[in-house]
Amino acid sequence: MSTLTVTRAVHLPKVGTVLSLLVVAFVVAAALVPGLLVDGSPTAIDLKSTLEAPSWAHPFGTDDAGRDLFTRVVHGARESLGIGLGATALAFVIAIGLGFTAALAGRVVDAAITRVLEVAFAFPALLLALLVIAVRGPSLATSIAAVGIGSAPGYARMIRGQVLAVRQAGFIEAAAALGHGWFTVIRRHLFPNAMRPLVAVATLGVGQSIVWASALSFLGLGVAPPSSEWGALLDAGRLHITTSWWLEILPGVVIVLVAISVTSLGRTLQNRLGGAAR
Amino acid sequence: MKARTAAVLAAAVLATASLSACGSDPAAGGGTPKAGGTIVYGHVQEPPCIFGGWIQQAYISRQVLDGLVTLAEDGTVKPWLATKWAVSPDGLKYTFTLKDGVKFTDGTPVDAEAVAWNFDYWENKGGNSTAKVSIDPYYKAAKAIDASTVEIEFNTPFPPFLTLATQGYFGIQSPTAFKSRTEKENCEKPIGSGGFTVKEWKHGEEVVLAKNPGYTSWPATAKHEGPAIVDEVRWKFVADGVSRYASLSTGESHVVYEVPTVNWKDAQSRYQTIRYITPGKPVSFYINTRTGPFTDAAVRKAFAYGADRKSAVEAGFHGVIPYEGNPAVSQATPGYNAEVAKAYAYDPAKANQLLDEAGWTQRNADKVRTKDGKPLTIKLVYGSGFIFTQEGATVLQVLQEQWKQIGFDIKLIPATQAELWGGKYTDPSTFDATPSYWTSPAPSILWIVWRPSTTEKPNGSNRSFYNNETLSAVIQQANSEPDATKANDLYGQAQKIIQDDAAGIGLYTQNSTYAVAQNLKNVWLEKSQGEPVFSDAYFTG
Amino acid sequence: MSRLRRIAVKAVTSVVVIVAAASVTFFAQLAVPGDRANTLMNLQTGQDKKWSVDELAPLNERFGFDDPVIVQYLDYVTGLFHGDLGTSYTQKRPVTEVIGGQLLPSLTLTGAALLVAWALALGITLLTVKRGRFLTSLGTTWEALTASLPHYWVGVVLLVVFAVQLRVFPIIGGTSALGTVLPVLTLAIPLAGFLGQVTRDEFEQVLQQPFVTTARTRGMSDLGVRVQHVLRHAILPAITLSGWALGALVSGAVIAENIFGRPGIGQVLVTAVNTRDLPTVSGIVLVVAAIYVVANLLVDLAYAIVDPRLRAA
Repeated sequence: MSTLTVTRAVHLPKVGTVLSLLVVAFVVAAALVPGLLVDGSPTAIDLKSTLEAPSWAHPFGTDDAGRDLFTRVVHGARESLGIGLGATALAFVIAIGLGFTAALAGRVVDAAITRVLEVAFAFPALLLALLVIAVRGPSLATSIAAVGIGSAPGYARMIRGQVLAVRQAGFIEAAAALGHGWFTVIRRHLFPNAMRPLVAVATLGVGQSIVWASALSFLGLGVAPPSSEWGALLDAGRLHITTSWWLEILPGVVIVLVAISVTSLGRTLQNRLGGAAR
Repeated sequence: MKARTAAVLAAAVLATASLSACGSDPAAGGGTPKAGGTIVYGHVQEPPCIFGGWIQQAYISRQVLDGLVTLAEDGTVKPWLATKWAVSPDGLKYTFTLKDGVKFTDGTPVDAEAVAWNFDYWENKGGNSTAKVSIDPYYKAAKAIDASTVEIEFNTPFPPFLTLATQGYFGIQSPTAFKSRTEKENCEKPIGSGGFTVKEWKHGEEVVLAKNPGYTSWPATAKHEGPAIVDEVRWKFVADGVSRYASLSTGESHVVYEVPTVNWKDAQSRYQTIRYITPGKPVSFYINTRTGPFTDAAVRKAFAYGADRKSAVEAGFHGVIPYEGNPAVSQATPGYNAEVAKAYAYDPAKANQLLDEAGWTQRNADKVRTKDGKPLTIKLVYGSGFIFTQEGATVLQVLQEQWKQIGFDIKLIPATQAELWGGKYTDPSTFDATPSYWTSPAPSILWIVWRPSTTEKPNGSNRSFYNNETLSAVIQQANSEPDATKANDLYGQAQKIIQDDAAGIGLYTQNSTYAVAQNLKNVWLEKSQGEPVFSDAYFTG
Repeated sequence: MSRLRRIAVKAVTSVVVIVAAASVTFFAQLAVPGDRANTLMNLQTGQDKKWSVDELAPLNERFGFDDPVIVQYLDYVTGLFHGDLGTSYTQKRPVTEVIGGQLLPSLTLTGAALLVAWALALGITLLTVKRGRFLTSLGTTWEALTASLPHYWVGVVLLVVFAVQLRVFPIIGGTSALGTVLPVLTLAIPLAGFLGQVTRDEFEQVLQQPFVTTARTRGMSDLGVRVQHVLRHAILPAITLSGWALGALVSGAVIAENIFGRPGIGQVLVTAVNTRDLPTVSGIVLVVAAIYVVANLLVDLAYAIVDPRLRAA
């Protein structure tokens, strides 16, 4: 029962929320209309100004093809955010289906799904992703599918657990006793109560998915070049870390900033939701 | 006792040092030699077995197995296990005389029977597919004449044989050990007569090589006579370039392979460095001449003219790795045609003109050229992470951007090992261009790569699907030409045919780079494939 | 009685689960386009061509690639029950041996990372939860920051800072104790952030519970309350999370092993997937699955002990 009550405490100071909003707004803008934020093309090469340190002209410096790193980061937002949102959405769709079915469809189905989840869970997410990529070949869609499928079993187990826990609470039976149909009970009571604690998990999931996708890029299995998906930038910058630090550090900082912002906004949202439910 | 060993050692080193006094080799001798010690070597890829037909295996099997012959700096073939050899007047029989008293590390003799067994194993028993393909279809049989004389027979004269036999794939193993042990033992600890033996293989980490104290069969190119000077070589697998290079500076390693090109200048100022340009087919594009836009030679030529390949290579590899305009063989290969390499210098105007003439006159909304409504899309498949490093991928991206300017829509398709080697991209419909390399010390590599593929005798290595009878005839003539000058002339013609028809497009030379700590001397690379040799190396005090 | 039966049933179905895991991998790998013998030939030669039927015949013969899929599958499953995971296509030695040598370093890495992560997470949470605005936001910011760090970025940065620049730890340390520190931290730091975020929620809720107030009114010290009551209640989700974390850790281990050149199952796995070494891939999945199933049984047991409410269920 105690796992249900949602905390009201606001963790981050208001300033933090505002900053997070700014970062997320910037990234969303970058994803939707990158042209508003930067002029040039992310693939425009300039072999005369390669590996330049950050400067006024190139705030994030340039890479070994003379491409402007800031432009690349801005243009990479669409793919990175897309992978993060897409993969988390995919994971939750799969997880909700499996989790609710397992928790509500009776003992035999539950046992079966739980076992299947154990099989899936036994696959380390990265191996699952590797297998998906081995079958389909690396691409944007594969990255989304790989990360989504890879993280679904974990969410499904959490959801099943939450649904079971909510079911244990008396008020569901009470609602049923009052004559509400099963579907109504699920929609109005079970779903919101079971899912609310998972809002944090979901928002964290977006950040985690971006991170996972970058891991695939790191293993050379991410989005095809010349994409400037952030993980691909990190992968490309790796060799340069001791000589041209900005290529590895700055995209990393961007990923971390975005992930923190998304997470903190998610938590704020969660707190608001928690408050509203009372 | 110890002091005496050191003195003898010093004398031996000095004697050979004066022989190789031309001394452009940066890792050459000097300093006060010290006996013993352990060399830690940072390599990149871990092979599945110590020996085999992949260059990664040749690197390490070179430490354990000796060959019949070896290649000297000047490109001549020198004695190793064979002290001398004779070629029959018809060019069909090679008779090798073996060095006396050489023993495998299992105690059995390195005799003619053993050598003949090895040839039979490579050529007829699937023992080493690269050794096989190198001398196929010329090879006929190997037989022992007496204990120290072995005869290799050919169907047609094949002068490149001697040079090809210097490759690590032709390392001689003990047949006795091979037949009496398990497959696993043979894979992990092959028995040869080399300067080192495999002591232990810690999978995922390192192979520990121990000195063979009874070593008597050093090659004529060795820098000292006698067994290895160091006690052990720890052959470590360090895939990450940053770690590999940095391990030198902390003293955790003494030699590293594949120095990241960004660090090359730094390496030159702090360590002894060796750069080896691999002979054979350079990293060049196979161009699909069977289907797609590249069936039209004009489009292939426009492709070649359309990008500043030289500048792209210089940028991607930070000026360390040389550009190679010759798609057929690299500048380190005997018989290299330097004139051919100059063709198709960057000329966007010419590229545009060729495409206009070929009918690719329209442009779509993305400024991609079209013909009959079809866009000029090129599927460029490359092995990501194993053939192309991050540096090579940068080169491709620079080229892609330049090709875009003249109206090519290049789709870069990174392929995993499983995909590329599993055959996902073998069918002509799956790609338009694919870059790769094939190291070989002889221009006869042309025959492997460009032999026409027929239904009866398919040639899966001809990835351009380019069947040219004239080319085929010229290469075959060259392969059997006993006069080296004439042969090279013919090989040069073959290169010109390939380049003129743009059946392949040059890119860069495959390089092996090494950095060696200052206190380790006499690490050198054998000439045939650039494998590091550690049996002459010594630490200075 | 019922609990024992439950666990017995679970143990039996676990065997099914493990075989199912191996089966799924077996068939997933078969779905990969391309020919296995062809891949092996290319692997042995470093080429990317298509080999002729004759050239591939010996390999097909040796590994039974020409047999019907169902025969290959049955052979494989029969082998499993004899403790035989097959022979690695590429390394030419039993898969049990391939895995056996690499299992311990990986388990050490993940186990140590899990412990360190919990120590970090609990330490920081206990010290900062409900401790005034400044400490709390310091704690949450730290957690949000570390939870968002990509594993391999942490790894690369740790490597460059502590091994390359400061030279505190070896760069290619292999499995030595000193060489294990950075890989463990690479995995533990982001995980600690994630665990911290979740345990913080639990802690805050528990600290608002009536029994905490009761304990305080009984005169229990703040630290006493935190450790004795709150920790105990927060342990429930912690156990579940540990199961999840193990999965994430094995994935992270692939990356950490790659960066630090550390032997382990992750390295073998990536190579095996890349080279389509089917017996090795299936074998690793099998072993990892077995470990999880056992871990899951333990989680169930622990759950039943910690939370009496679930005992009846």
